[in-house]
Amino acid sequence: MVSHEDVIQIARLAKLSVSEEELDGLTKEMQSIIDFADAINNAPVDGEEFDNINNLSNAFREDTVVPSYPTEKILENASDSAEDCFLVKKRSL
Amino acid sequence: MVYTLLKKGLITVAEVKSKIKAVNEMLKNKEITCTELTQQYLKSIEDTNASLNAYVNVTGETALETAKAVDDKISRGEEISLLAGVPMTLKDNISTDGIETTCCSKILQGYKPIYNATVWNILKNKDAVLLGKTNMDEFAMGSSCETSVFGGAKNPHNINHVAGGSSGGVASAVGGNIAVYGLGSDTGGSIRQPASFCGIVGLKPTYGSVSRYGLIAYASSFDQIGPITTTVEDTAIVYDAISEYDVMDSTSQGNRGVKTCDTLKKDIKGMKIGIAKEYLEGIRDDVREAVLNACKVYESLGAEIVHFELSALKYALPVYYILACAEASSNLGRYDGIRYGYKTPVYKDVNDMVCRTRSEGFGSEVKRRIMLGTYVLSAGYYDAYYKKAQNLRGTIVREFKNAFEKADVILAPTVPMTAFEVGKAVSDPIETYLTDICTVPMNIAGLPAVSVPCGFNAKGMPIGMQLIGNTFDEATVLNAAWQFENATHDTMFRSAEMGVRL
Repeated sequence: MVSHEDVIQIARLAKLSVSEEELDGLTKEMQSIIDFADAINNAPVDGEEFDNINNLSNAFREDTVVPSYPTEKILENASDSAEDCFLVKKRSL
Repeated sequence: MVYTLLKKGLITVAEVKSKIKAVNEMLKNKEITCTELTQQYLKSIEDTNASLNAYVNVTGETALETAKAVDDKISRGEEISLLAGVPMTLKDNISTDGIETTCCSKILQGYKPIYNATVWNILKNKDAVLLGKTNMDEFAMGSSCETSVFGGAKNPHNINHVAGGSSGGVASAVGGNIAVYGLGSDTGGSIRQPASFCGIVGLKPTYGSVSRYGLIAYASSFDQIGPITTTVEDTAIVYDAISEYDVMDSTSQGNRGVKTCDTLKKDIKGMKIGIAKEYLEGIRDDVREAVLNACKVYESLGAEIVHFELSALKYALPVYYILACAEASSNLGRYDGIRYGYKTPVYKDVNDMVCRTRSEGFGSEVKRRIMLGTYVLSAGYYDAYYKKAQNLRGTIVREFKNAFEKADVILAPTVPMTAFEVGKAVSDPIETYLTDICTVPMNIAGLPAVSVPCGFNAKGMPIGMQLIGNTFDEATVLNAAWQFENATHDTMFRSAEMGVRL
Protein backbone atom coordinates (compact mmCIF):
# COMPACT_ATOMS: atom_id res chain seq x y z
CA MET A 1 0.00 0.00 0.00
CA VAL A 2 1.21 3.47 -0.85
CA SER A 3 1.09 5.68 2.27
CA HIS A 4 1.08 9.45 2.71
CA GLU A 5 4.66 9.12 3.98
CA ASP A 6 5.68 7.30 0.78
CA VAL A 7 4.26 10.10 -1.36
CA ILE A 8 6.00 12.77 0.71
CA GLN A 9 9.29 10.86 0.45
CA ILE A 10 8.97 10.37 -3.34
CA ALA A 11 8.07 14.03 -3.82
CA ARG A 12 11.12 15.00 -1.76
CA LEU A 13 13.37 12.83 -3.97
CA ALA A 14 11.74 14.21 -7.14
CA LYS A 15 12.02 17.80 -5.89
CA LEU A 16 8.31 18.50 -6.10
CA SER A 17 6.30 20.21 -3.40
CA VAL A 18 3.07 18.52 -2.32
CA SER A 19 0.51 20.47 -0.32
CA GLU A 20 -1.64 18.93 2.44
CA GLU A 21 -4.73 19.24 0.21
CA GLU A 22 -3.08 17.35 -2.68
CA LEU A 23 -1.82 14.49 -0.51
CA ASP A 24 -4.95 12.31 -0.40
CA GLY A 25 -5.63 12.51 -4.13
CA LEU A 26 -2.00 11.95 -5.05
CA THR A 27 -1.70 8.90 -2.76
CA LYS A 28 -4.76 7.29 -4.40
CA GLU A 29 -3.43 8.09 -7.85
CA MET A 30 0.01 6.64 -7.05
CA GLN A 31 -1.68 3.50 -5.69
CA SER A 32 -3.64 2.95 -8.91
CA ILE A 33 -0.52 3.44 -11.05
CA ILE A 34 1.49 1.06 -8.86
CA ASP A 35 -1.33 -1.52 -9.11
CA PHE A 36 -1.08 -1.19 -12.88
CA ALA A 37 2.71 -1.65 -12.76
CA ASP A 38 2.26 -4.70 -10.51
CA ALA A 39 1.05 -6.63 -13.57
CA ILE A 40 4.68 -7.61 -14.12
CA ASN A 41 5.01 -9.23 -10.68
CA ASN A 42 4.01 -12.68 -11.89
CA ALA A 43 5.86 -12.52 -15.19
CA PRO A 44 8.48 -15.25 -15.58
CA VAL A 45 12.06 -14.01 -15.47
CA ASP A 46 14.25 -15.76 -18.00
CA GLY A 47 17.51 -14.92 -16.35
CA GLU A 48 19.04 -13.23 -19.37
CA GLU A 49 20.05 -9.67 -18.60
CA PHE A 50 18.94 -7.03 -21.01
CA ASP A 51 21.78 -4.69 -21.82
CA ASN A 52 20.88 -2.71 -24.91
CA ILE A 53 18.45 -2.36 -27.79
CA ASN A 54 19.36 -3.57 -31.29
CA ASN A 55 22.86 -4.55 -30.08
CA LEU A 56 23.86 -0.94 -30.46
CA SER A 57 27.11 0.17 -29.03
CA ASN A 58 28.01 3.75 -28.29
CA ALA A 59 29.07 5.63 -31.39
CA PHE A 60 32.21 7.34 -30.15
CA ARG A 61 33.89 10.16 -32.01
CA GLU A 62 37.34 11.66 -31.88
CA ASP A 63 37.70 14.03 -28.95
CA THR A 64 38.56 17.10 -30.98
CA VAL A 65 38.48 20.60 -29.59
CA VAL A 66 35.75 22.75 -31.14
CA PRO A 67 34.63 26.23 -30.12
CA SER A 68 31.86 26.26 -27.51
CA TYR A 69 28.86 28.58 -27.39
CA PRO A 70 29.54 32.13 -26.24
CA THR A 71 28.79 32.66 -22.54
CA GLU A 72 26.39 35.52 -23.20
CA LYS A 73 24.35 33.30 -25.56
CA ILE A 74 24.06 30.59 -22.92
CA LEU A 75 23.04 33.12 -20.27
CA GLU A 76 20.27 34.57 -22.47
CA ASN A 77 17.85 31.93 -21.21
CA ALA A 78 18.82 32.23 -17.53
CA SER A 79 16.30 33.76 -15.14
CA ASP A 80 19.12 35.73 -13.52
CA SER A 81 22.84 36.15 -14.21
CA ALA A 82 25.80 38.21 -13.05
CA GLU A 83 29.47 38.36 -14.03
CA ASP A 84 29.20 35.60 -16.66
CA CYS A 85 27.55 33.25 -14.15
CA PHE A 86 24.06 31.90 -13.45
CA LEU A 87 22.82 33.81 -10.45
CA VAL A 88 20.82 32.10 -7.72
CA LYS A 89 19.73 34.30 -4.86
CA LYS A 90 19.61 32.54 -1.51
CA ARG A 91 16.04 33.69 -0.97
CA SER A 92 13.62 35.91 -2.83
CA LEU A 93 12.28 37.67 0.24
CA MET B 1 -14.20 -4.06 -53.30
CA VAL B 2 -11.36 -2.36 -55.03
CA TYR B 3 -8.79 -5.05 -54.34
CA THR B 4 -10.84 -7.83 -55.94
CA LEU B 5 -11.33 -5.74 -59.05
CA LEU B 6 -7.62 -4.97 -59.05
CA LYS B 7 -6.79 -8.63 -58.75
CA LYS B 8 -8.94 -9.43 -61.74
CA GLY B 9 -7.26 -6.64 -63.65
CA LEU B 10 -10.63 -4.95 -64.16
CA ILE B 11 -9.46 -1.56 -63.00
CA THR B 12 -6.16 0.20 -62.88
CA VAL B 13 -5.54 2.88 -60.35
CA ALA B 14 -3.27 5.82 -61.01
CA GLU B 15 -0.30 5.86 -58.64
CA VAL B 16 -0.72 7.87 -55.46
CA LYS B 17 0.93 11.22 -56.00
CA SER B 18 3.57 12.32 -53.51
CA LYS B 19 2.71 15.80 -52.20
CA ILE B 20 6.37 16.72 -51.84
CA LYS B 21 7.05 15.77 -55.46
CA ALA B 22 3.96 17.70 -56.56
CA VAL B 23 5.20 20.86 -54.81
CA ASN B 24 8.69 20.37 -56.24
CA GLU B 25 7.29 20.09 -59.78
CA MET B 26 5.05 23.13 -59.33
CA LEU B 27 8.03 25.18 -58.19
CA LYS B 28 10.40 23.92 -60.88
CA ASN B 29 7.78 24.42 -63.63
CA LYS B 30 7.15 27.94 -62.27
CA GLU B 31 3.42 27.28 -61.87
CA ILE B 32 3.64 29.07 -58.54
CA THR B 33 6.43 30.85 -56.68
CA CYS B 34 7.54 29.55 -53.32
CA THR B 35 6.57 32.89 -51.80
CA GLU B 36 3.01 32.58 -53.12
CA LEU B 37 2.76 29.00 -51.92
CA THR B 38 4.07 29.91 -48.46
CA GLN B 39 1.64 32.83 -48.27
CA GLN B 40 -1.22 30.44 -49.09
CA TYR B 41 -0.19 28.17 -46.24
CA LEU B 42 0.20 31.08 -43.82
CA LYS B 43 -3.23 32.38 -44.81
CA SER B 44 -4.75 28.92 -44.26
CA ILE B 45 -3.11 28.71 -40.86
CA GLU B 46 -4.63 32.08 -40.01
CA ASP B 47 -8.05 30.81 -41.08
CA THR B 48 -8.06 27.34 -39.54
CA ASN B 49 -5.67 27.32 -36.60
CA ALA B 50 -8.21 28.87 -34.23
CA SER B 51 -10.31 25.72 -34.59
CA LEU B 52 -7.53 23.12 -34.99
CA ASN B 53 -5.06 24.54 -32.44
CA ALA B 54 -2.32 22.72 -34.36
CA TYR B 55 0.31 25.48 -34.28
CA VAL B 56 1.54 26.99 -31.03
CA ASN B 57 4.01 29.32 -32.74
CA VAL B 58 3.78 30.45 -36.37
CA THR B 59 7.10 31.56 -37.88
CA GLY B 60 5.75 33.44 -40.88
CA GLU B 61 8.62 35.87 -41.28
CA THR B 62 11.39 33.27 -41.44
CA ALA B 63 9.19 31.08 -43.64
CA LEU B 64 8.86 33.89 -46.19
CA GLU B 65 12.61 34.62 -46.03
CA THR B 66 13.38 31.00 -46.90
CA ALA B 67 10.71 31.05 -49.61
CA LYS B 68 12.32 34.09 -51.19
CA ALA B 69 15.74 32.42 -51.14
CA VAL B 70 14.21 29.41 -52.93
CA ASP B 71 12.55 31.69 -55.50
CA ASP B 72 15.90 33.42 -56.09
CA LYS B 73 17.59 30.06 -56.68
CA ILE B 74 14.89 29.04 -59.15
CA SER B 75 15.04 32.32 -61.03
CA ARG B 76 18.84 32.01 -61.27
CA GLY B 77 18.28 28.58 -62.80
CA GLU B 78 19.96 26.74 -59.92
CA GLU B 79 19.09 23.15 -59.13
CA ILE B 80 16.87 22.87 -56.02
CA SER B 81 16.56 19.86 -53.72
CA LEU B 82 13.35 17.83 -53.57
CA LEU B 83 12.52 19.28 -50.16
CA ALA B 84 13.40 22.86 -51.07
CA GLY B 85 10.54 25.28 -50.62
CA VAL B 86 8.17 22.64 -49.21
CA PRO B 87 6.18 24.16 -46.32
CA MET B 88 6.47 22.00 -43.20
CA THR B 89 6.33 22.01 -39.42
CA LEU B 90 8.25 20.71 -36.39
CA LYS B 91 6.87 19.41 -33.10
CA ASP B 92 7.60 21.87 -30.32
CA ASN B 93 10.17 19.58 -28.65
CA ILE B 94 12.61 19.83 -31.59
CA SER B 95 15.14 22.59 -30.92
CA THR B 96 15.18 25.53 -33.31
CA ASP B 97 17.89 28.16 -32.89
CA GLY B 98 16.34 31.46 -31.78
CA ILE B 99 12.78 30.14 -32.14
CA GLU B 100 10.86 29.44 -28.93
CA THR B 101 10.74 25.71 -28.12
CA THR B 102 8.48 24.96 -25.17
CA CYS B 103 7.51 21.25 -25.18
CA CYS B 104 4.10 22.86 -24.57
CA SER B 105 5.02 23.21 -20.91
CA LYS B 106 4.83 26.25 -18.66
CA ILE B 107 8.30 25.36 -17.39
CA LEU B 108 9.84 26.07 -20.83
CA GLN B 109 7.75 29.06 -21.87
CA GLY B 110 10.01 31.70 -23.38
CA TYR B 111 12.92 29.28 -23.87
CA LYS B 112 14.81 29.92 -27.12
CA PRO B 113 17.40 27.25 -27.93
CA ILE B 114 20.83 28.48 -29.02
CA TYR B 115 21.34 25.64 -31.48
CA ASN B 116 19.36 23.59 -33.99
CA ALA B 117 18.40 19.95 -33.64
CA THR B 118 20.33 17.90 -36.23
CA VAL B 119 17.12 16.97 -38.08
CA TRP B 120 16.23 20.64 -38.44
CA ASN B 121 19.77 21.48 -39.59
CA ILE B 122 19.48 18.81 -42.30
CA LEU B 123 16.12 20.09 -43.54
CA LYS B 124 17.10 23.75 -43.21
CA ASN B 125 20.14 23.08 -45.39
CA LYS B 126 17.74 21.68 -47.98
CA ASP B 127 15.74 24.96 -47.85
CA ALA B 128 12.70 23.52 -46.07
CA VAL B 129 10.16 26.23 -45.26
CA LEU B 130 9.34 26.08 -41.54
CA LEU B 131 5.79 27.38 -41.03
CA GLY B 132 5.95 27.06 -37.28
CA LYS B 133 6.11 24.83 -34.24
CA THR B 134 3.24 22.50 -33.47
CA ASN B 135 1.27 21.44 -30.43
CA MET B 136 1.99 18.35 -28.33
CA ASP B 137 1.24 16.76 -24.99
CA GLU B 138 3.45 18.40 -22.37
CA PHE B 139 6.94 16.85 -22.69
CA ALA B 140 5.35 14.30 -25.07
CA MET B 141 3.55 12.67 -22.14
CA GLY B 142 0.02 11.86 -23.25
CA SER B 143 -2.12 10.25 -25.91
CA SER B 144 -4.57 13.03 -26.76
CA CYS B 145 -2.43 16.22 -26.98
CA GLU B 146 -4.61 17.56 -24.16
CA THR B 147 -1.85 17.77 -21.54
CA SER B 148 -0.44 20.68 -23.59
CA VAL B 149 -0.34 23.96 -21.68
CA PHE B 150 -1.91 25.49 -24.81
CA GLY B 151 -4.88 23.06 -24.84
CA GLY B 152 -5.08 20.11 -27.26
CA ALA B 153 -4.95 20.03 -31.08
CA LYS B 154 -8.19 19.01 -32.78
CA ASN B 155 -8.85 16.33 -35.36
CA PRO B 156 -9.29 17.72 -38.90
CA HIS B 157 -11.90 15.01 -39.64
CA ASN B 158 -14.07 16.22 -36.77
CA ILE B 159 -12.99 18.98 -34.43
CA ASN B 160 -15.03 17.52 -31.58
CA HIS B 161 -12.42 14.74 -31.51
CA VAL B 162 -8.77 14.95 -30.49
CA ALA B 163 -5.91 14.78 -32.97
CA GLY B 164 -4.18 12.23 -30.73
CA GLY B 165 -0.82 12.46 -29.07
CA SER B 166 1.60 13.30 -28.29
CA SER B 167 2.54 14.72 -31.74
CA GLY B 168 -1.09 15.87 -32.14
CA GLY B 169 -0.21 19.28 -33.56
CA VAL B 170 1.87 17.86 -36.41
CA ALA B 171 -0.86 15.35 -37.32
CA SER B 172 -3.58 18.02 -37.09
CA ALA B 173 -1.58 20.41 -39.31
CA VAL B 174 -0.68 17.77 -41.91
CA GLY B 175 -4.16 16.20 -41.89
CA GLY B 176 -5.73 19.67 -42.04
CA ASN B 177 -3.54 20.61 -45.05
CA ILE B 178 -1.82 23.47 -43.25
CA ALA B 179 1.61 21.83 -43.63
CA VAL B 180 2.83 19.43 -46.33
CA TYR B 181 4.66 17.32 -43.77
CA GLY B 182 6.05 17.51 -40.26
CA LEU B 183 8.49 15.89 -37.90
CA GLY B 184 7.24 14.42 -34.65
CA SER B 185 8.80 12.24 -31.97
CA ASP B 186 7.67 8.80 -30.85
CA THR B 187 8.46 7.40 -27.38
CA GLY B 188 5.47 5.05 -26.99
CA GLY B 189 3.40 5.77 -30.12
CA SER B 190 3.45 9.56 -30.33
CA ILE B 191 3.94 9.67 -34.11
CA ARG B 192 1.85 6.65 -35.11
CA GLN B 193 -1.18 7.19 -32.86
CA PRO B 194 -2.00 10.77 -33.98
CA ALA B 195 -1.25 9.81 -37.61
CA SER B 196 -3.77 6.97 -37.23
CA PHE B 197 -6.38 9.25 -35.57
CA CYS B 198 -6.01 11.86 -38.33
CA GLY B 199 -6.04 9.38 -41.24
CA ILE B 200 -2.48 9.99 -42.42
CA VAL B 201 0.95 8.31 -42.44
CA GLY B 202 3.50 8.36 -39.59
CA LEU B 203 6.81 6.50 -39.23
CA LYS B 204 8.67 5.68 -36.06
CA PRO B 205 12.12 4.75 -37.35
CA THR B 206 14.49 2.16 -35.86
CA TYR B 207 16.10 3.32 -32.61
CA GLY B 208 19.40 4.86 -33.70
CA SER B 209 18.56 5.64 -37.32
CA VAL B 210 17.64 9.31 -36.84
CA SER B 211 19.73 11.64 -34.67
CA ARG B 212 18.02 12.91 -31.51
CA TYR B 213 20.51 15.72 -30.97
CA GLY B 214 18.36 18.72 -30.07
CA LEU B 215 15.24 16.67 -29.31
CA ILE B 216 14.22 17.58 -25.77
CA ALA B 217 14.47 14.25 -23.97
CA TYR B 218 11.56 12.33 -22.45
CA ALA B 219 12.82 8.72 -22.26
CA SER B 220 16.16 8.38 -23.99
CA SER B 221 16.15 4.63 -24.66
CA PHE B 222 12.76 4.95 -26.44
CA ASP B 223 12.66 8.39 -28.15
CA GLN B 224 12.89 8.57 -31.95
CA ILE B 225 12.16 11.40 -34.40
CA GLY B 226 10.18 10.58 -37.56
CA PRO B 227 7.99 12.02 -40.32
CA ILE B 228 4.21 12.52 -40.43
CA THR B 229 2.91 12.93 -44.00
CA THR B 230 -0.18 12.34 -46.15
CA THR B 231 1.41 9.70 -48.39
CA VAL B 232 3.83 6.80 -47.87
CA GLU B 233 6.17 8.14 -50.54
CA ASP B 234 6.47 11.45 -48.67
CA THR B 235 7.36 9.54 -45.52
CA ALA B 236 10.05 7.67 -47.47
CA ILE B 237 11.45 10.92 -48.93
CA VAL B 238 11.65 12.63 -45.53
CA TYR B 239 12.99 9.54 -43.75
CA ASP B 240 15.74 9.12 -46.36
CA ALA B 241 16.69 12.77 -45.85
CA ILE B 242 16.89 12.75 -42.04
CA SER B 243 18.35 9.29 -41.34
CA GLU B 244 21.99 10.28 -41.30
CA TYR B 245 24.77 9.32 -38.90
CA ASP B 246 25.41 12.18 -36.51
CA VAL B 247 28.50 12.61 -34.35
CA MET B 248 26.40 14.56 -31.84
CA ASP B 249 24.23 11.56 -30.85
CA SER B 250 26.08 8.59 -29.37
CA THR B 251 23.22 6.22 -30.35
CA SER B 252 23.27 7.40 -33.96
CA GLN B 253 23.75 4.81 -36.71
CA GLY B 254 22.11 6.43 -39.74
CA ASN B 255 20.16 4.30 -42.21
CA ARG B 256 23.07 1.92 -42.87
CA GLY B 257 23.26 2.94 -46.50
CA VAL B 258 19.76 1.92 -47.57
CA LYS B 259 17.49 4.46 -49.27
CA THR B 260 13.85 3.47 -48.82
CA CYS B 261 12.79 5.35 -51.96
CA ASP B 262 14.81 2.92 -54.13
CA THR B 263 12.62 -0.10 -53.27
CA LEU B 264 9.39 1.64 -52.33
CA LYS B 265 7.32 0.44 -55.28
CA LYS B 266 8.78 -3.04 -55.56
CA ASP B 267 6.45 -6.02 -56.07
CA ILE B 268 5.56 -7.72 -52.76
CA LYS B 269 4.71 -11.16 -54.16
CA GLY B 270 5.83 -13.75 -51.65
CA MET B 271 6.38 -11.22 -48.85
CA LYS B 272 5.52 -12.83 -45.51
CA ILE B 273 3.19 -10.69 -43.43
CA GLY B 274 2.84 -11.77 -39.81
CA ILE B 275 -0.24 -11.49 -37.64
CA ALA B 276 0.19 -11.92 -33.89
CA LYS B 277 -2.87 -13.28 -32.11
CA GLU B 278 -2.38 -10.93 -29.15
CA TYR B 279 -2.67 -7.91 -31.39
CA LEU B 280 -6.25 -8.74 -32.37
CA GLU B 281 -7.48 -9.22 -28.81
CA GLY B 282 -9.16 -6.44 -26.86
CA ILE B 283 -9.53 -4.08 -29.80
CA ARG B 284 -12.74 -2.59 -31.10
CA ASP B 285 -14.65 -4.59 -33.74
CA ASP B 286 -14.41 -1.91 -36.44
CA VAL B 287 -10.63 -1.73 -35.98
CA ARG B 288 -10.25 -5.52 -36.08
CA GLU B 289 -12.38 -5.71 -39.21
CA ALA B 290 -10.26 -3.05 -40.94
CA VAL B 291 -7.04 -4.91 -40.09
CA LEU B 292 -8.43 -8.25 -41.29
CA ASN B 293 -9.56 -6.55 -44.47
CA ALA B 294 -5.99 -5.31 -44.95
CA CYS B 295 -4.82 -8.96 -44.77
CA LYS B 296 -7.10 -9.72 -47.71
CA VAL B 297 -5.67 -6.79 -49.65
CA TYR B 298 -2.17 -8.14 -49.02
CA GLU B 299 -3.18 -11.62 -50.13
CA SER B 300 -4.57 -10.15 -53.33
CA LEU B 301 -1.20 -8.47 -53.87
CA GLY B 302 0.52 -11.84 -53.60
CA ALA B 303 1.77 -11.63 -50.02
CA GLU B 304 1.50 -14.57 -47.67
CA ILE B 305 -0.13 -14.17 -44.24
CA VAL B 306 1.58 -16.07 -41.41
CA HIS B 307 0.16 -16.39 -37.88
CA PHE B 308 2.05 -16.58 -34.60
CA GLU B 309 1.93 -15.60 -30.96
CA LEU B 310 3.81 -12.88 -29.12
CA SER B 311 2.91 -13.86 -25.57
CA ALA B 312 5.20 -11.34 -23.82
CA LEU B 313 3.15 -8.49 -25.30
CA LYS B 314 0.84 -8.64 -22.28
CA TYR B 315 3.65 -7.14 -20.20
CA ALA B 316 4.52 -4.43 -22.70
CA LEU B 317 2.44 -1.62 -21.21
CA PRO B 318 3.63 -1.82 -17.59
CA VAL B 319 7.21 -2.43 -18.82
CA TYR B 320 6.97 0.70 -20.95
CA TYR B 321 5.49 2.91 -18.25
CA ILE B 322 7.98 1.74 -15.62
CA LEU B 323 11.05 2.25 -17.80
CA ALA B 324 9.93 5.40 -19.62
CA CYS B 325 8.91 7.10 -16.38
CA ALA B 326 12.17 6.08 -14.71
CA GLU B 327 14.11 7.68 -17.56
CA ALA B 328 11.83 10.72 -17.53
CA SER B 329 12.34 11.27 -13.80
CA SER B 330 16.07 11.50 -14.48
CA ASN B 331 15.84 13.51 -17.74
CA LEU B 332 13.47 16.08 -16.29
CA GLY B 333 15.72 16.62 -13.27
CA ARG B 334 17.39 19.42 -15.26
CA TYR B 335 14.45 21.82 -14.88
CA ASP B 336 15.36 23.80 -11.81
CA GLY B 337 14.59 27.40 -12.81
CA ILE B 338 18.27 28.36 -12.92
CA ARG B 339 19.56 27.97 -16.48
CA TYR B 340 16.41 28.29 -18.57
CA GLY B 341 12.65 28.41 -18.40
CA TYR B 342 10.23 29.33 -15.66
CA LYS B 343 11.39 30.25 -12.14
CA THR B 344 9.07 30.70 -9.18
CA PRO B 345 8.93 34.32 -7.96
CA VAL B 346 8.71 33.62 -4.22
CA TYR B 347 10.82 31.15 -2.21
CA LYS B 348 12.50 30.65 1.18
CA ASP B 349 15.73 28.94 0.13
CA VAL B 350 17.32 27.28 -2.89
CA ASN B 351 15.72 23.86 -2.35
CA ASP B 352 12.34 25.52 -1.94
CA MET B 353 12.95 27.48 -5.15
CA VAL B 354 13.64 24.30 -7.15
CA CYS B 355 10.63 22.44 -5.67
CA ARG B 356 8.23 25.34 -6.22
CA THR B 357 9.54 26.00 -9.74
CA ARG B 358 8.96 22.38 -10.70
CA SER B 359 5.57 22.06 -9.01
CA GLU B 360 4.29 25.26 -10.60
CA GLY B 361 5.99 24.68 -13.96
CA PHE B 362 5.06 21.05 -14.69
CA GLY B 363 1.49 19.92 -15.41
CA SER B 364 -0.17 17.07 -13.52
CA GLU B 365 0.59 14.25 -16.03
CA VAL B 366 4.29 15.15 -16.08
CA LYS B 367 4.43 15.23 -12.28
CA ARG B 368 2.59 11.89 -12.13
CA ARG B 369 5.20 10.27 -14.40
CA ILE B 370 8.14 11.85 -12.54
CA MET B 371 6.68 10.50 -9.28
CA LEU B 372 6.20 6.99 -10.72
CA GLY B 373 9.71 7.04 -12.17
CA THR B 374 11.20 8.17 -8.89
CA TYR B 375 9.25 5.46 -7.05
CA VAL B 376 10.43 2.58 -9.25
CA LEU B 377 14.04 3.74 -8.98
CA SER B 378 13.99 4.28 -5.21
CA ALA B 379 15.62 1.98 -2.68
CA GLY B 380 13.40 -0.99 -1.88
CA TYR B 381 11.47 -0.90 -5.15
CA TYR B 382 14.26 -0.89 -7.75
CA ASP B 383 14.52 -4.69 -8.07
CA ALA B 384 10.77 -5.35 -8.10
CA TYR B 385 9.99 -2.76 -10.76
CA TYR B 386 12.91 -1.28 -12.68
CA LYS B 387 15.14 -4.34 -12.81
CA LYS B 388 12.22 -6.69 -13.50
CA ALA B 389 10.96 -4.43 -16.29
CA GLN B 390 14.44 -4.30 -17.85
CA ASN B 391 14.54 -8.08 -17.82
CA LEU B 392 11.11 -8.28 -19.48
CA ARG B 393 12.28 -5.76 -22.05
CA GLY B 394 14.89 -8.33 -23.05
CA THR B 395 12.17 -11.00 -23.32
CA ILE B 396 10.08 -8.80 -25.62
CA VAL B 397 13.11 -7.97 -27.79
CA ARG B 398 13.89 -11.68 -28.22
CA GLU B 399 10.26 -12.55 -29.00
CA PHE B 400 10.22 -10.04 -31.85
CA LYS B 401 13.57 -11.31 -33.07
CA ASN B 402 12.11 -14.81 -33.34
CA ALA B 403 8.98 -13.47 -35.04
CA PHE B 404 11.10 -11.92 -37.79
CA GLU B 405 12.43 -15.36 -38.62
CA LYS B 406 8.87 -16.23 -39.69
CA ALA B 407 7.71 -12.94 -41.19
CA ASP B 408 9.17 -10.01 -43.16
CA VAL B 409 6.79 -7.50 -41.58
CA ILE B 410 4.16 -7.69 -38.85
CA LEU B 411 0.71 -6.19 -39.38
CA ALA B 412 -1.15 -4.82 -36.36
CA PRO B 413 -3.66 -2.15 -35.45
CA THR B 414 -2.08 1.19 -34.49
CA VAL B 415 -4.61 2.01 -31.77
CA PRO B 416 -7.36 -0.28 -30.41
CA MET B 417 -9.91 2.46 -31.18
CA THR B 418 -10.47 5.65 -33.18
CA ALA B 419 -9.94 9.26 -32.01
CA PHE B 420 -11.55 10.01 -28.64
CA GLU B 421 -13.93 12.87 -28.14
CA VAL B 422 -12.38 16.03 -26.76
CA GLY B 423 -12.00 15.87 -22.97
CA LYS B 424 -12.51 12.09 -22.64
CA ALA B 425 -8.84 11.15 -22.21
CA VAL B 426 -8.01 13.42 -19.30
CA SER B 427 -10.44 11.89 -16.82
CA ASP B 428 -8.66 8.58 -16.14
CA PRO B 429 -4.87 8.29 -16.58
CA ILE B 430 -4.76 4.47 -16.51
CA GLU B 431 -7.55 4.16 -19.12
CA THR B 432 -5.53 6.51 -21.30
CA TYR B 433 -2.32 4.51 -20.81
CA LEU B 434 -4.17 1.43 -22.13
CA THR B 435 -4.67 3.07 -25.53
CA ASP B 436 -0.90 2.78 -26.12
CA ILE B 437 -1.03 -1.03 -26.00
CA CYS B 438 -0.36 -1.58 -29.73
CA THR B 439 2.37 1.03 -30.18
CA VAL B 440 4.69 0.72 -27.12
CA PRO B 441 6.13 -2.73 -28.01
CA MET B 442 8.03 -1.23 -30.97
CA ASN B 443 9.66 1.40 -28.76
CA ILE B 444 10.55 -1.28 -26.22
CA ALA B 445 12.21 -3.32 -28.98
CA GLY B 446 13.55 -0.33 -30.97
CA LEU B 447 11.84 -1.54 -34.16
CA PRO B 448 10.62 0.57 -37.10
CA ALA B 449 6.85 0.85 -37.58
CA VAL B 450 4.68 2.93 -39.87
CA SER B 451 1.01 3.73 -39.39
CA VAL B 452 -1.11 3.95 -42.55
CA PRO B 453 -4.85 4.58 -42.97
CA CYS B 454 -6.88 1.36 -43.41
CA GLY B 455 -10.51 2.41 -43.09
CA PHE B 456 -13.13 4.49 -41.30
CA ASN B 457 -15.57 3.77 -38.50
CA ALA B 458 -19.31 4.34 -38.77
CA LYS B 459 -18.88 7.98 -37.76
CA GLY B 460 -16.29 8.58 -40.48
CA MET B 461 -13.29 8.70 -38.13
CA PRO B 462 -10.10 7.19 -39.59
CA ILE B 463 -8.69 3.80 -38.56
CA GLY B 464 -4.96 3.12 -38.84
CA MET B 465 -2.79 0.01 -39.00
CA GLN B 466 0.90 -0.51 -38.34
CA LEU B 467 3.47 -2.31 -40.41
CA ILE B 468 6.32 -3.31 -38.15
CA GLY B 469 9.74 -4.27 -39.45
CA ASN B 470 12.96 -5.78 -38.26
CA THR B 471 15.75 -3.51 -37.05
CA PHE B 472 16.87 -1.00 -39.73
CA ASP B 473 14.44 -2.53 -42.23
CA GLU B 474 12.46 0.64 -42.96
CA ALA B 475 12.77 -0.23 -46.67
CA THR B 476 10.58 -3.36 -46.35
CA VAL B 477 8.12 -1.63 -44.01
CA LEU B 478 7.61 1.29 -46.39
CA ASN B 479 7.49 -0.99 -49.46
CA ALA B 480 4.64 -2.97 -47.85
CA ALA B 481 2.93 0.26 -46.79
CA TRP B 482 3.21 1.80 -50.26
CA GLN B 483 1.73 -1.26 -51.95
CA PHE B 484 -1.25 -1.21 -49.58
CA GLU B 485 -1.75 2.52 -50.02
CA ASN B 486 -1.52 2.23 -53.77
CA ALA B 487 -4.12 -0.53 -53.87
CA THR B 488 -6.58 1.17 -51.53
CA HIS B 489 -5.89 4.90 -51.60
CA ASP B 490 -9.24 5.86 -53.12
CA THR B 491 -11.22 4.16 -50.36
CA MET B 492 -8.87 4.50 -47.37
CA PHE B 493 -7.73 8.08 -47.72
CA ARG B 494 -9.92 11.16 -47.43
CA SER B 495 -8.40 14.58 -47.43
CA ALA B 496 -10.02 16.89 -44.85
CA GLU B 497 -12.01 19.74 -46.39
CA MET B 498 -9.74 22.50 -45.21
CA GLY B 499 -6.37 24.13 -45.70
CA VAL B 500 -4.37 24.28 -48.93
CA ARG B 501 -5.64 21.74 -51.48
CA LEU B 502 -2.78 21.07 -53.86
